[in-house]
Amino acid sequence: MTGMKFSQTCDRDRRVGGYGLHVAAAIVALAAASGAAQAQECQVKLGAMGPMSGGAAAWGLALRQGVEFVAAQANADGGVQVGDRKCRVSVMSYDSKYSAEGAASAANSMASDNIKLIIGPVGSPEATGAKPVAQRNGQITFNSSYAKDAIGPETPLAFHQLAGPAQWAPKIVAAAKQKFGIKSVVVVAPNDQGGTDVASVNAKAYEADGIRTKQEYYQRGTTNFAPLVTRIMNENPDAVDTASSPPADGATMVKQLLEAGYGGVFGRLGGPGTLEIIKAAGGVKELKNFYWLELVPTEDEKIVALQKDFKTVMKADAPNNTLLYTAAAAARMVLKAVTAAGTADDAPAVAKALHNLEPVDPYLGKGTWKGKAAFGIQQELVFPVGLGLIVDGKSLGVTAVDLADSK
Amino acid sequence: MDGLVTTAIIGLSLGVEYALLSLGFTLIFGILGVINFAHGGFYMIGGYAAYAAVHFAGMPFPAAVATAMLVTALLGYVCELLLIDRYVSDHLTPMMITLGLYLIISTALIVVFGPEPADFSFPIRGSLRSGGIYITYANLIVLLVCATVIAAVYLLMYRTDFGLALRAMADNREVATALGMRPAQYFPLAFGLATGLAGLTGALVTPTLTLSPFLGDSILGMSFLIVILGGLGSLGGAVIASFIVGIVEAYSRVYLGGSKGALALFVVVLIILVVRPNGLMGRIGRPA
Amino acid sequence: MRNMLRTIAFTDWLSIAILLAFAIVPFLTGDFFTLSLTNQILIAVTAALSVHIMLRMDLLSFAVPAFMAIGGYAAAMTAQAGATNLVVLLAVSFASAAIVALPLGALVLRLRGVYFVLVTFIFTEILQLLIFETPGLTGGSNGIPRIPAPTLGPLVLNTNHLIVLVSICVAVIATVVTMGLTRRYGQEFASIEENETLAQSLGLVAWHYRTIGFVVAGGIAGMAGFALVNLLLTAHPTSFTSMSSVFYIAYVLIGGRRTILGAVVGSCLLVWATKVFSSHGEYSAGFFGLLLIIVVTAAPNGLVGLAQHLLGRVKPRSASPRPEVADAHV
Repeated sequence: MTGMKFSQTCDRDRRVGGYGLHVAAAIVALAAASGAAQAQECQVKLGAMGPMSGGAAAWGLALRQGVEFVAAQANADGGVQVGDRKCRVSVMSYDSKYSAEGAASAANSMASDNIKLIIGPVGSPEATGAKPVAQRNGQITFNSSYAKDAIGPETPLAFHQLAGPAQWAPKIVAAAKQKFGIKSVVVVAPNDQGGTDVASVNAKAYEADGIRTKQEYYQRGTTNFAPLVTRIMNENPDAVDTASSPPADGATMVKQLLEAGYGGVFGRLGGPGTLEIIKAAGGVKELKNFYWLELVPTEDEKIVALQKDFKTVMKADAPNNTLLYTAAAAARMVLKAVTAAGTADDAPAVAKALHNLEPVDPYLGKGTWKGKAAFGIQQELVFPVGLGLIVDGKSLGVTAVDLADSK
Repeated sequence: MDGLVTTAIIGLSLGVEYALLSLGFTLIFGILGVINFAHGGFYMIGGYAAYAAVHFAGMPFPAAVATAMLVTALLGYVCELLLIDRYVSDHLTPMMITLGLYLIISTALIVVFGPEPADFSFPIRGSLRSGGIYITYANLIVLLVCATVIAAVYLLMYRTDFGLALRAMADNREVATALGMRPAQYFPLAFGLATGLAGLTGALVTPTLTLSPFLGDSILGMSFLIVILGGLGSLGGAVIASFIVGIVEAYSRVYLGGSKGALALFVVVLIILVVRPNGLMGRIGRPA
Repeated sequence: MRNMLRTIAFTDWLSIAILLAFAIVPFLTGDFFTLSLTNQILIAVTAALSVHIMLRMDLLSFAVPAFMAIGGYAAAMTAQAGATNLVVLLAVSFASAAIVALPLGALVLRLRGVYFVLVTFIFTEILQLLIFETPGLTGGSNGIPRIPAPTLGPLVLNTNHLIVLVSICVAVIATVVTMGLTRRYGQEFASIEENETLAQSLGLVAWHYRTIGFVVAGGIAGMAGFALVNLLLTAHPTSFTSMSSVFYIAYVLIGGRRTILGAVVGSCLLVWATKVFSSHGEYSAGFFGLLLIIVVTAAPNGLVGLAQHLLGRVKPRSASPRPEVADAHV
């Protein structure tokens, strides 16, 4: 060991001149390279934050793919205009684990990577954790939480990626009441914030329409819903709304309700996974009567076009989760705002540019800024949503519901 | 009245499923002294293995269930042999290893099969019905299979030399070893048997509910609760505890609902344990 | 025996030194990643010490998140009521959890081994449900948002740098309390761990010492809860799930269960790893699992245990003739 060290030292002594030359050359080369990089390439960094492991992973992964899709499209067009330069868009993603501290920690990690523009987080606990930290760090976030305080005047850098239940619940409920003549409903959701945020707003919308409403909350992690189904059967409601319960839970509930002989209408205002529910029921015919919310009008030709473009650009099928579309729209708005503000590092300037931008998206169409009434700050990015209907065992497809005139 | 009877049926079918699920857990506990954090993971592997056998290999459902059981048993055997065996004398190290295994299993399932629930349902639909009381054919079949397997495990443990050896290991490892039984031979087998039972339960039960890669936590929690309540390493205790938990869960969730129902179950278990600190049929406690 | 004490003292001092070294971090860097990592490590250390104390008495506790919730929520409510003084909040978070631990301990400390594990697990589940069922008091599933930052005289502790200092304060207090407890009752704990029946027949009132340990462990977890709530400015039920207890236990076992230093080392490694893995999306949990298996199979006595073992082997002729420190208790 010692011998080796000795010989190395000798070696170095002899070559010291050569060393110096090498180092000098390397420094020159590095400087030249970085200089060139600065001239040709600059970078706009977007963050994608959401749950990418655990029970809500489908959401976070879809959100990430939405942001990556927009970045890939922008780069294929030569980058995003920032001042007088064209910049490449890069995406960094972080798993915020559907928890407050996961999201707070993700926001800090992104801050140290100098990411000021974040699409996400997804869930309510995450939004609760990320908002104050991102505000402190000077980062824009675009969360998709359904919490009553998803955004607010005290965090002016926090934006809302999509319309909340306060926007769509009254419209969908009215349509469902008219279609199926519902007089009573049970709204079911998990007992944590992801459930109560949506179910309570849905319940209010049903009650406002004169529908007798009962709320049922089950413990998150329940796998067998037979007891809950018996409880619902005792109520004998006209409709059961599975609200924001996770796809697996909603599917099991519908399957077990049908087995118990439930003959009423099914509703799903808040959660994705209608495909799983139809499959679990054994098909459209068995499900019979079903109304549900889609975050976007999924059968619109422009949405179908996005799926095609996604496949071309990303070389993979678009994920089923509709958060893909709203995340992509938010990312696109942010990039436009970067161009308008002439900077990607100054979050308040980008936020200001966002306020002045008319929400238009090549796939989602014309939107509006909302949120003043529900949150006290006009930072909710609202595009038309979709209302899906199955009536008497026949699928009527998904129709667009414009929310421009809602509160 | 119908409601009371329906709830009792739900409680019984929950009880039978829990019993099969916790037998494996209590075997590992009793014989190796290991809290197997990967138990819920093997349950999910069972479900996905059966799903893959039906959907990709085109197997009939019963064959798929048998395959799933074999696959999970083999996986369990290999894991014990390669990872856990050397550390069995310590109780905490295997716990960490199985926790690591569980995290790897869940991740692998999400990466391979995606986070959405898989399209896997029981091949027979419909229910047996009389007035307001009903039981689905699927549940009936699951119930019968579970009961048969539980009986088989009982026979294996109490009527064969292999079972005798396993029980001797559980009672007193030092004495059993001194009598010439080799832990190296029996431990992987016991572990494989236990994970096979978890896999079998997963393959049978998930198609009647929903198969998704996030079931592990609650399955683990439930098995843990039942096994301890029943008394450490006691097969009979685990079965009795399964039925108590199934019935209490069914009635509390039907008549109290949501969080209050879950709260009632936990409080009942807490009271039982405070009154009987070694579980329903347990002997003295093993160190953690 | 004297050698053992000296070694423990050395690793304890090293723990304090490491924690105090973290105090330099906010003065060296404003980097968000580093500051946030430091914060999380310090909170993890505090929670892990609670596990460590219980393990010294051969009890594996899953109740750490429950006590964290009690301390965190109590501090949040106190701060919202206007008492934002840091010292007051620290005292409230420790005392509230300790007060709950006292009657609970009387009830559950009769249980042994896995029975104790289950009861503490159920306690955490029950507490989580109680939070959901009391929206008036705890904010229910929404938690308590917008908690005012703690103050120290005229100073408001609301920047990233100052929050790290609060966390260090919590971690150092927790370490000193743990050191004091394990020094004062070290022999009693050791005899309980080795053979309780024997200890009892020799006149050691085991339940008395176990209750002291349980109450202090609860209080320390309460302070960890305060530090977490202070970091997030929110008390939220998702911060205190029963599954999170598994990770606090992992910090202790990976680092080494015999020493306070083990809790510190394990927390540093695993929290850092979690943060690094978080940028790998759906693979993050799997990487963490792999790391657990690798470390625990390479070092069954924890990293500190391994280091002590190796050092013992490298320097066989050190001051005393008994080098096998790692196995001192076994």
